[in-house]
Amino acid sequence: MRENPYLYALVTAVAAIIFIVLSSYGVGLLARFFAKLTGATRRKQENTFAGYLFASPWIVGFLIFVIVPMGFSLYWSFTDYRVISNQPANWVGFDNYTQLILKDSGFRASIINTLYLTAIGLPLQMAVALFLAVMLSQNMRGERIFRMAFYLPVILGFNTAVLLAWRLMLNTGTGIINQMIRAAIQAFPPLGYVNRAIIFAQELASAFFLGLSNGKFTLLTKVWEAGFPAANRVPLWVQSPLWSKMSVVLLMIWGCGAMMLIFLAGLKNIPKELHEAAEVDGANSWKRFWKISFPLLTPYIFYNLIVGMINALQIFEPIYVLYRDNQPLIPSAMSMVYYLWQASFSHFEIGYGSAISWVIFIIILIVTVIQFKMQDRWVHYDLY
Amino acid sequence: MRTKLFVLLMLVSIVLSACGGAQPAEPAAPEAPAEEPAAPAEEPAAEEPAEEPAAEAVTLKIYLLDYTPDTIAWLNEEINPAFEAAHPGVTVEITEGSWSGWDTTFSGFFAAGEGPDIINLGSEMNTLYGESLADMDAYLGEGAWDEISNFGPALENAKYQGKLRGLPIFTAPRYVFCRTDKMEAAGWSTGTPQNFGEWVDFAGQATTIDDATNSLSQQALVPVDAGSMADWQWWLLVYYSLGGELYKADGSPNFDSAEALATTQFMLDMRQATYGSALDAVGALPAGQGSVIDVNDETGVDNGAVCLAHSGWAAPPFDRPIWESVSIDPFYGDPDNFPNSKPVVLAFNDWLAVADYSSNKELAAEWLKVAFSKEANHKWNETMGLIPSRNDAQYGYVTESPQLQREAELAAEYGVGFAGIEEAAKLSTIMQDALGKLITEELSPEEVVAKIQSEYSDALGK
Repeated sequence: MRENPYLYALVTAVAAIIFIVLSSYGVGLLARFFAKLTGATRRKQENTFAGYLFASPWIVGFLIFVIVPMGFSLYWSFTDYRVISNQPANWVGFDNYTQLILKDSGFRASIINTLYLTAIGLPLQMAVALFLAVMLSQNMRGERIFRMAFYLPVILGFNTAVLLAWRLMLNTGTGIINQMIRAAIQAFPPLGYVNRAIIFAQELASAFFLGLSNGKFTLLTKVWEAGFPAANRVPLWVQSPLWSKMSVVLLMIWGCGAMMLIFLAGLKNIPKELHEAAEVDGANSWKRFWKISFPLLTPYIFYNLIVGMINALQIFEPIYVLYRDNQPLIPSAMSMVYYLWQASFSHFEIGYGSAISWVIFIIILIVTVIQFKMQDRWVHYDLY
Repeated sequence: MRTKLFVLLMLVSIVLSACGGAQPAEPAAPEAPAEEPAAPAEEPAAEEPAEEPAAEAVTLKIYLLDYTPDTIAWLNEEINPAFEAAHPGVTVEITEGSWSGWDTTFSGFFAAGEGPDIINLGSEMNTLYGESLADMDAYLGEGAWDEISNFGPALENAKYQGKLRGLPIFTAPRYVFCRTDKMEAAGWSTGTPQNFGEWVDFAGQATTIDDATNSLSQQALVPVDAGSMADWQWWLLVYYSLGGELYKADGSPNFDSAEALATTQFMLDMRQATYGSALDAVGALPAGQGSVIDVNDETGVDNGAVCLAHSGWAAPPFDRPIWESVSIDPFYGDPDNFPNSKPVVLAFNDWLAVADYSSNKELAAEWLKVAFSKEANHKWNETMGLIPSRNDAQYGYVTESPQLQREAELAAEYGVGFAGIEEAAKLSTIMQDALGKLITEELSPEEVVAKIQSEYSDALGK
């Protein structure tokens, strides 16, 4: 007898409901039992039961959809599980981890690419977000429109239209970004030297990171020996491996709206009296920013740094969006999470991919813990 | 106790009300079989259904990637109703996906062991997914379906370990399309280049740079991935044209061959003849509208390519006036230096495979027979302007269009399948990594082929 898919769906839904109810009831009973053990009153026990009963659908969901998959992922990371092989997963011990950490040059390259995006992209992203927030806090006309405009990229995300727009904007010949650079140089020729210096510095930095990835610094030597770029050189966005990561940084900066809002909220929270008092004492706006606003913004900077660093270490979407149809550039921009995606969903090596995900998790955990440990040295909570 | 009861009832009511919206819709009543089902002509399955009418509703799920609205409409309006009429109780459900992200979606299907019965695959994916695809010989093989003999060479791409896993829809070879007027304007009068030396000379002669933007204003040859000119599929096409084989007799990779090195050197030479050296490279062609060898109707300006080495779908539509000055040729290889060179058009094709997890394999085979009948295969491809995979379906628009006729002839004479690649996804990753380093001149051609040989050997466990 053939299976009726609608009946199957209905039975599954009913079974899910029964499971949720029973498991919630079970969690409630368990909570009440522990309350009883700790000597809680009967009323307290009843309240504990009710509280956990209502919270349980989410607790159970968290266990099922987060904890259990994490458990499977941890288990698979010690196996050679491959989705399409039709073979059962074999236990391989720490083979995946030793391969990943000691032998896999691709993963090492992805770590270094991610390091570039974190060390260069994140500070630029935060600086632009802070700059925009400071501009918007000046009570200028049309502030709401600008605020919305700057936040819009966060809402838009990286959809197809956005991808197309960025591809057009980053075109080396007719893209608006290079057009603006050319127009600025034409209007003020000395900017040409600045442009060439930026190109030189960027290509040196990129070649250095590519050299770190490969363990060979041939390209860095070539860039250095080639010297100062010719006067007509333009950034080769999404065209050259030397520019592939910087193009991703541009997308990161474009999406700084969420950071900007946090900074804006922080700036609005700073008491005006402090600025007024400093003004009376003769401090100019530059000094007031660095001596008053910036120190008081450090909790917000810390928050953005933590969230931004976690996002940068997990970056995937901009790379996928920019380079999925431009395959030769991917290795030069590939992040850790892109490498994870490639291993898991392109090569279908779920076991290996799981090991990658745990290594990434540990890297993020270590970086975050270090950040929290170091916050005492520079974050000021005095006002809060 | 009353509190507990109240809380429990509340919880049940909340959960039930939350799930209310997610209840599956009432199943549509199976269409009553038409008295005379309008099955496509020459469809034996419709005349003699292989199975007893289903007692319960069954949904045959099909997952298609990036087909035109016309194709989907035709399937939904003609093929599926005819099939459903011939198979009472069966509903055909088409889900449309995209080639962007298909691998993630498919791995989900195979990991769960549940998903569409029929999935849309590309040429090289027979080896990638082979173990997870159903052996369909019992339903579609020569002993079961005599029409299978009408399929052309593309059928080989739908096999894994010699067993049929599905059926090919079309053949989409990659040709060299050249603008003869632009060639002449560039002072090139000998037609499509016939060897590597000519190609490099042509690239230097027909490529022009706009000094104002320091970018290309005309690119002599636009292969797959115009920016890098070093895509792995383009590399393979050139390699095959030299008579190169991917594997040695013992199954190990053959990237340490003279053909592989010559191909890689050719990639670099063409790249440098077009863009200049890596550290002083010019910008790419502006993004134009339509095919790169066409003319922008709004501006009257050429989109910039003189020659295009790509599938027919990247060329202008057949009704464009530009076709008066476009030639279609295979890629000729380098006969002067490699006597085994042969003209090649690299044949890609889409095919529909039946997943091994499907519990409706027989039904899937019946649907494939309907959708791949002579007339249906012809119509399916007509909606896309491609060459049908069935030889007997290559009539009408195929023979009436001089371009398609020429393409079909070249495919028949010089077609080389893009299939049989072991660990295709890994080879793609390995090659793109190495070729990316070639275009920055970070690695020499010798180092590139050595890197590919070493890494691909590891991937194959050789």
